[in-house]
Amino acid sequence: MLATSPPEEGALLPTPVPILEMRSIDKRFPGVHALMGVSMDVLPGEVHALVGENGAGKSTLMKILAGVYVADGGEIVYKGQPYAPRTPRESRDAGIVTIYQELNLVPDLSVTENMYLGVELQRGPFLDWPAMHRRARQLLSERLHLDLDPRTSVGRLGVGQQQMVEVAKALLHEADIIIMDEPTAALSLREIADLFAIVRELKSHGVSTIFISHHLDETFELSDRTSVLRDGQHVATVATADLTKAELIKYMVGRDLASLDPKRPAPIGAEVLRVEGLTRHGVFENISFSARAGEIVGIAGLVGAGRTEVVRGIFGADPLDAGRIFIDGREVSIKSPRDAIDNGIALLTEDRKSQGLVLIFDVRENITLSILDRLSRGQLTDKARERQVAAGFIDRLAIKASSQEQLALNLSGGTQQKVVLSKWLAAEARVIIFDEPTRGIDVGAKAEIYQIMNELVAQGDTIIMVSSELPEILAMSDRVLVMQGGRLRGELSRDEASQERIMHLATVSDGENGAEPAGAAA
Amino acid sequence: MNRTQALVRSIISGAGPALVLIAMAAALWVMSPAFRSPTSLMLIGLEAAALGLVAAGQTFVILTGGIDLSVEAMVSFAGVIAAILIAGTNVSGGQIAGGLPSWMAIPIALSLGLLIGAGQGVLVTAFRMNPLIVTLGVRSILLGFALVLSRGSGIYIKKDDLLGFITGRFEVLGLSIPIPLILTLIIYVICWIVLKQTKFGRYVYAIGGNETAARLSGVRTNLVKLSIYAISGFLAALAGILVMGRLESGAYQNGTNLTLMSVAAVVIGGTALTGGIGGIWGTLIGVFMIRLVDAGLVYMSFPSQAKEIMIGAIIVLAVLIDTARRGQIPWLTLRLRGGDPGG
Repeated sequence: MLATSPPEEGALLPTPVPILEMRSIDKRFPGVHALMGVSMDVLPGEVHALVGENGAGKSTLMKILAGVYVADGGEIVYKGQPYAPRTPRESRDAGIVTIYQELNLVPDLSVTENMYLGVELQRGPFLDWPAMHRRARQLLSERLHLDLDPRTSVGRLGVGQQQMVEVAKALLHEADIIIMDEPTAALSLREIADLFAIVRELKSHGVSTIFISHHLDETFELSDRTSVLRDGQHVATVATADLTKAELIKYMVGRDLASLDPKRPAPIGAEVLRVEGLTRHGVFENISFSARAGEIVGIAGLVGAGRTEVVRGIFGADPLDAGRIFIDGREVSIKSPRDAIDNGIALLTEDRKSQGLVLIFDVRENITLSILDRLSRGQLTDKARERQVAAGFIDRLAIKASSQEQLALNLSGGTQQKVVLSKWLAAEARVIIFDEPTRGIDVGAKAEIYQIMNELVAQGDTIIMVSSELPEILAMSDRVLVMQGGRLRGELSRDEASQERIMHLATVSDGENGAEPAGAAA
Repeated sequence: MNRTQALVRSIISGAGPALVLIAMAAALWVMSPAFRSPTSLMLIGLEAAALGLVAAGQTFVILTGGIDLSVEAMVSFAGVIAAILIAGTNVSGGQIAGGLPSWMAIPIALSLGLLIGAGQGVLVTAFRMNPLIVTLGVRSILLGFALVLSRGSGIYIKKDDLLGFITGRFEVLGLSIPIPLILTLIIYVICWIVLKQTKFGRYVYAIGGNETAARLSGVRTNLVKLSIYAISGFLAALAGILVMGRLESGAYQNGTNLTLMSVAAVVIGGTALTGGIGGIWGTLIGVFMIRLVDAGLVYMSFPSQAKEIMIGAIIVLAVLIDTARRGQIPWLTLRLRGGDPGG
């Protein structure tokens, strides 16, 4: 579209006046000094990437901007005025809008209703729906190039479109700064491309974006400048064009990372798991595959292809309508997670906080949750043995916790993942299913997780890995299964697999089968 | 650091209420001479016993994130059943020959409590019904049965030796300690062992903390939840026996107000209504607090009609404390944070 407003090539001009300056921001939580004198500025119409490992303080800093937290020290100048929002509403009214990873939309309300929630247009005492619908449609089509009926309820849209509704909402509030916290985490490649186009469009209208992401490819593609936080401190702000990926990673972790090729192949043994004809009507159909000892089998596909649902079915978390599961060639009956665990199958869910951990339990209690039967004398728990088991895993997986009594709540994403993994290793799982093993995990901890996966297959375990990150699939898998629309579309060996071939299988439908709806998306 | 954190937490949730309890008792002691008599202390202990049993069951249920609103009806129902069995009639006049001895009647009433509780557990788990509605409905059903079976008035009984013993007193050092209180304290020790020293107890906390994660970790969550409703039903029925034995009458009013009071006691004692956090000793403190307030009203010559107002106020206050404790009232936490120079 036509871009008229402020100069885009800010980097070439004499330094423009920042629209936002944060100076020496300090924030403490009980036991944690989350931000230590962080300073950062944002220029008008720039895309500013904010990166750092989990726990570096990115979210805290952004929540101060958004009025969720109040800073303990420091000052913020926004459009030349002191700025200290005490509520999210104050921040929004000032023109700073945050789009969180968990979108703040009401699924049962329409697009228009969501956009106008709290700022409804009225004619007299009545709501003026025609005007709201008209303006919503106009905004969506003109600014976001989105042909969407504003009467559709938001719950029926895909995640990508829901995010667009959030952006539209921000535009409605005439945002000058939009903060996006991990906006691409749940998006397909196509949706990510759309989102980037929108961000560039906003930029051409002079809207600034603060973009938080763990995907460095994305921040390099999109941002003008990159700021790095580490352990609550500001490390660097650099023009992205002057930065290499290796430099950025070094800023983030404070050290050089070893090679980016983490895979160490293990000897492949006998077949351990085989599934035949797994079906859950309307979700996935006729899924058959096998996995062998020492093997990492990757399952690729778009969000909504039914991958998570299949592995949940194998684990007994959701009921199956049909299909057989074999362990070591022997058919087993799995009707609940307990059955799966007893057969040596473990599932690390994609959402650790809501499904993997009891957050108000400490590290030890989480590790031993699956094996209390084994650790108990009769009905009574044996605390000494629990302590011993937990100490073993904290040591083995290098779990960074201040003590066994630290609550899971207070651990970083990578450490939480290690605690969940310890739980399954304690349960002596031999088939370990990882669903998005490194989602929301920072670069340093990712490498450690890959390392642990290598060790597991080296000792003869079997790993099934569902992942939306193609580089991860390609790097770690011995074999790649690709799903689309609830069906297995193909299988690629490690040598055959490439981004293009996987994406082809995941997106292009072949023949009449392709007409099947991907029921899993909703 | 986390040990201190844990210590601070346990002090706030444990010792805080205990200190308030002591302060309340001290205030009553100073202000009301009547309160100091051994008889009044004995009465408070006796009153605390029935509420204590009900609240112990309620603690289990609330720890899993549920709630049991049927307990007061169960107290009445179990009392009426036991009274009818012992009296051998449901005519309100009084005991006739041919009734069952209490050693037979009591187990029957307790088993009914256990089974009805388990039935509620089945509705909540297998049929995925909301515990609030299930237990509210069962409350009504049980009260209705108690009313019909007792024909609207009390069934009077004569205590036999066993019933006489478990509702009796125990004289030591010039104090008379009610046996029901001792029974209740024993039950509390058992509850503490179950909650803190057994895998079942760990599962109860795990379900309250994150039911999905617990299920995906192989915990048979439905079985555990079913069991806690059975425990709650059993303990409420036991309370019903004690109340009936003391009053020598099984009537549908026997359990009045115990539901609200038990929830209040649990929440005052530091157990979160959302589950996963809390414990049995806090509940005991909550029970005594409520009984002290109750007694205080009497000794401070408040009109007895004001009792309902106090109970209502206590439960609302308890939930307010629970909400504030978990930092869910933004303006309240803001002020607390502001006043704390760098925790």
